[in-house]
Amino acid sequence: MTGYVCKYTPVEIIRAFDEGVCRIEPKVKSVEKAMSLTHPNMCSFMKGALEEIIRENINEIILVNCCDSIRRLYDILRGKVKFIHIIDLPRKITGSAYSLFYRELLHFIGAYEAYKGKKFDLNKFKKVLAEHKMENACKGKCVAVFGGRLNDGVIENIKRRCNLDVVNLTCTGISRPSKVGQEGDLIFSYAKALLNLPPCMRMAEDRSKLLDDLNLKGVIYNTVKFCDFYSFEYTSLKKTSNIPILKIETDYSDSNSGQVLTRIDAFLESLGVKRAIAHPVKSGYFAGIDSGSTSTNVVIIDENKNIISYSTVPTGARALGSAREAYRIALKKAGLKEEDIAYAVSTGYGRINIPFSNESVTEITCHGRGAFYLDKGVRTVIDIGGQDSKVIRLDDAGNVVDFVMNDKCSAGTGRFLEVMSRALEVSIEDMARAVTDFQEDIVITSMCTVFAESEVISLIARNKDRNDIIRGIHQSVASRAVSLLDRVGRSGKYMMTGGVAKNKGVVCEIEARICEKIIIPFEPQIVGALGAAVIAAEKRQE
Amino acid sequence: MDLIRTYSHIIRKNLDNPERAFKFIKFGLDAALKYVSLFPDRRLPQALGFLNKICLKNIKEPLCHPENSIWVNIFAPTEFLHAMDIYPLFIEAYSSFMSGFLIEGNLIDRAESSGISNTLCSFHKVFIGSGEFNILKKPKMAITTSMACDANINTFRYMAGKYNIPLYIIDVPYEYNRDSLEYVKKQLKEMAVLIEEVFDRKLDIDKLREIVIRENQTKTLINEYIENLRQRCLNSTMSFELYMLFTSHVFIGREDTLNFYKMLAEDIKRAPLRSGGGIFFIHLPPMFEVSFKERFNFSRDFHLLGCDLNYDFLEEVEYREPFEGIAKKLILNAYNGSIERRIEALSNIIDRIEPDGIIQFCHWGCKQSIGCTGMFKDYLKEKNIPFLAVDGDVIDRRNNQHGQAKTRLEAFLEIVKRR
Repeated sequence: MTGYVCKYTPVEIIRAFDEGVCRIEPKVKSVEKAMSLTHPNMCSFMKGALEEIIRENINEIILVNCCDSIRRLYDILRGKVKFIHIIDLPRKITGSAYSLFYRELLHFIGAYEAYKGKKFDLNKFKKVLAEHKMENACKGKCVAVFGGRLNDGVIENIKRRCNLDVVNLTCTGISRPSKVGQEGDLIFSYAKALLNLPPCMRMAEDRSKLLDDLNLKGVIYNTVKFCDFYSFEYTSLKKTSNIPILKIETDYSDSNSGQVLTRIDAFLESLGVKRAIAHPVKSGYFAGIDSGSTSTNVVIIDENKNIISYSTVPTGARALGSAREAYRIALKKAGLKEEDIAYAVSTGYGRINIPFSNESVTEITCHGRGAFYLDKGVRTVIDIGGQDSKVIRLDDAGNVVDFVMNDKCSAGTGRFLEVMSRALEVSIEDMARAVTDFQEDIVITSMCTVFAESEVISLIARNKDRNDIIRGIHQSVASRAVSLLDRVGRSGKYMMTGGVAKNKGVVCEIEARICEKIIIPFEPQIVGALGAAVIAAEKRQE
Repeated sequence: MDLIRTYSHIIRKNLDNPERAFKFIKFGLDAALKYVSLFPDRRLPQALGFLNKICLKNIKEPLCHPENSIWVNIFAPTEFLHAMDIYPLFIEAYSSFMSGFLIEGNLIDRAESSGISNTLCSFHKVFIGSGEFNILKKPKMAITTSMACDANINTFRYMAGKYNIPLYIIDVPYEYNRDSLEYVKKQLKEMAVLIEEVFDRKLDIDKLREIVIRENQTKTLINEYIENLRQRCLNSTMSFELYMLFTSHVFIGREDTLNFYKMLAEDIKRAPLRSGGGIFFIHLPPMFEVSFKERFNFSRDFHLLGCDLNYDFLEEVEYREPFEGIAKKLILNAYNGSIERRIEALSNIIDRIEPDGIIQFCHWGCKQSIGCTGMFKDYLKEKNIPFLAVDGDVIDRRNNQHGQAKTRLEAFLEIVKRR
């Protein structure tokens, strides 16, 4: 079995040798073997592929000179596997590029013949090519997955969650060359057809027309961690296209993680194409349960959407136990029993594991809905919770039209503040005040919580004033939030939700940066649960 | 230092006003040029004082005359530009200067908040951030090669699109053969035609040949300098090693570059004999990293012998057929092609200058370089030369962990010293 990674690989030539060929699609959870052979900052796909090759003992590999990481993969694997060959793929489509690529294909055939000890059969190759059929393009409304390669599991998950057709336009979804000219040298025609596949970002060719023929409802744009090619196209698309677009970043170790799926769900919800599970709704009271990483919140409202009660308990180590406890307290405060609740919607990281909820909706939609319920003028919600931070853009009807979340790291979140309060030995409440009597500007430069902690410890060691350090920490969180805000674009009014909204220091620093006042609700931590309760109540109206 | 901080603070305050920010940047370059002309650093050999001046001049000219300039990357074949009297704006160097002005963090944040990947090379992010702030003036066109670095094509395509200027991408294949040579040669011809059209002036092939001849004379002097490095070492800093990228790449073939190497070849003959450990860098030295500055700048304990990027192609270029000669130079660059070629070039330079230790500063985002670390390590182990790979960022100070870098460097230098 010969393994390959890139769509420009001459798969049909290998098949004409009667040899098995498979695309390497890493499914590994950790990459420890790969890390011992290469640098941790190499592209996640390359590390995953390297790990898979070692673990699965793949001994025949054909690569294409795709990018810096794959070139290094070739260098690393040489001498470690039985057969490895790299094809030099031109980046342009010109007459001399065809000749160059043709030469490369002939060179590959020669190398493969020598390794396998058998001759390339042109007639078999013709047969393999004849098996190819053109795939029908999607005509109706659809959602496209675009950008960097995305593993099949995530694509399947998107298809399951979306009630429209999902088109995979990443290189893992591109069909093989189907129109190979039969005149003249067949290998030359094949080289031409292969080079004319829809270009990836590595090529010097234009990709701007790739979305043109599709009737798109939205685009899920994938970038791979430590692969920089696709963020450029995302940035340009975001600026120039009117189609709703969601950016996800995957890393091939846990591409199907809750964080990625939450983003996808929220996006599909905002497009109104999320596959829904129908439940009968009784009249009565409605509950929203937000199972967050730090706190679990429950809000109960009546048919007229009046808040009847709410509760907040720390999530601790058992998410479900905390959800039950918060639900019990809220019901008790409202003087209700569980059977009085007509419909319950869960949200937050633990949302799918709440047995007493009827439906789960992402915290993005819920925070948007909750904020809009509290103030119809709000267009931007800045939500900084214990584990993640996000900025949500609402339209005039309170629907989510855009959002961004922090990357897989706790910089700029509640956890960051907790770690810092421990390092400084001040309570989280003490750290929450706005610092006005500062003496020195201290900038916390490290972006990662762990490194920032070391940085704060070294500031303490240098006898820096604690107040000044606290102000530096507030500024660091604020600057991350404003950077997220700028990714969706600024638009008032602003509301801040989540536990960090209680920190006046951070709020003041964000206000200073955006020169706007931010609305802080009476209990910023329950806004997600409130939004979930409102969604539950709206089920009845439907 | 405080003067630079104040100046940096002023630029940062004015980043939202591109005209003013540009004026302050220009003022800074002017002031630096005047300063080094009036108060040359007495510790520096004559050649490096001269290098300081020509680099400032070469970065200032395209910024001040955007209508006669082209954005280029480090490997771009600028011989054509020199032959046509066009100023190249060397974008990696531009970013280094912005880091020198302590504004790299703001420019990087701006690029990242536009959506550009935070794992992209900081040299590119600074350049893109300047574009997002509009503090770069619109040049006539842009030229990049695909060599060595994945970021080139995309950064240039993004910026050319944003500024609405023509872009020429030179795709340089991995292998050297008849077809690849033809492929690059054709592209160089196409590029020359595009430059002629955009600037409405003709390329004089004899002038191009003159540039290439001068480039070859320069190579002879570089080789002479390398021969002397085995025994002697200049009193220098890491910044000058990076400044030499101007003369070894983008500005090679020019008269002032040739003059610089003439002085350098003389200076090294008069330089003191090597008395401490000689350290050679793979890729780039971290010019702003404090712990490295303390150990290497003007040091006689540990000598800075250079970096391999300055010696990536030491052969002569065929001047009679300049298109073919330059195409060959691009394909056969040590940073292009498989790791064997890079190690062969490294081996060649090691044999000539005999360093006591080798450091690879793994620059954030540079996959082509960091991906080689394991192979460099194996090769140098075989050669019995101490090797240190340390992570960091050549221009974004926030990506450097001073304490960690210092401990690693000190431990490594203790090993070198013991030998």
